[in-house]
Amino acid sequence: MGNNKSFSGGRRYSNDDITVYWKPSACIHATYCFRELIEVFDPGRRPWVDMKAAPTDRIIEVVNMCPTDALTWKWNDNEKNKDVPQDQTNHVRFRRPELLDDEIAVNEVRPVVVKVMVDGPIVINGTFDFDNDGTRKEVKDSLISVCRCGASSKMPFCDGHHRKIGFTG
Amino acid sequence: MENKEDNKPATVVEVVDQGPLGIKGSFILKDLKRGSESKPGEVWLCRCGKSKNKPFCDDSHKKND
Ligand code: FES
Repeated sequence: MGNNKSFSGGRRYSNDDITVYWKPSACIHATYCFRELIEVFDPGRRPWVDMKAAPTDRIIEVVNMCPTDALTWKWNDNEKNKDVPQDQTNHVRFRRPELLDDEIAVNEVRPVVVKVMVDGPIVINGTFDFDNDGTRKEVKDSLISVCRCGASSKMPFCDGHHRKIGFTG
Repeated sequence: MENKEDNKPATVVEVVDQGPLGIKGSFILKDLKRGSESKPGEVWLCRCGKSKNKPFCDDSHKKND
């Protein structure tokens, strides 16, 4: 939980040691990442990066092979980012220094927020288990909007009908 | 997360058939209509629109549909 998040321009993935940043717009599909380490970088899977599937030093090695700044990385311990050696080619310090000031704690878990909207649905935002119709699935870093007026034709989700029936409450 | 060790999800949202929406675990409840914010740990929210105690369920859904 909380180890797969968006940031401006892409997504980031963390284990206890490092954070890997993915910037899809920079990818030229050189395919080093998944040819070298399909366990971690699997384009056919969602999320496509699994930071638990290989040791940190191996992930760093493969991220460093990326010829663009589509994949970059940094230590979670900011002290260690201060003097990384030049051979760590895809460290954010060399490729995307703006990410060094990325203040948000990487292992911070965003709380689930349930909002009761004014005369509208219940909007739930975050990562949680969702039980509906006898099946349970995980909603990850996303949101659902549940009907509160009783009139939706897409139950249990809100489809905007609350406005038509003039729901208040 | 509090419950990580035993692999239980921290927050569970459950749609009760013909009933309310149950939310259990760790979450922040913000009621924008009434301007309140709390961390109740467990709530049952009305989905039928008829509760007299919104946003909570008061079993009104059981009375003549
Ligand atoms: S609350 Fe939006 S359709 Fe019921």
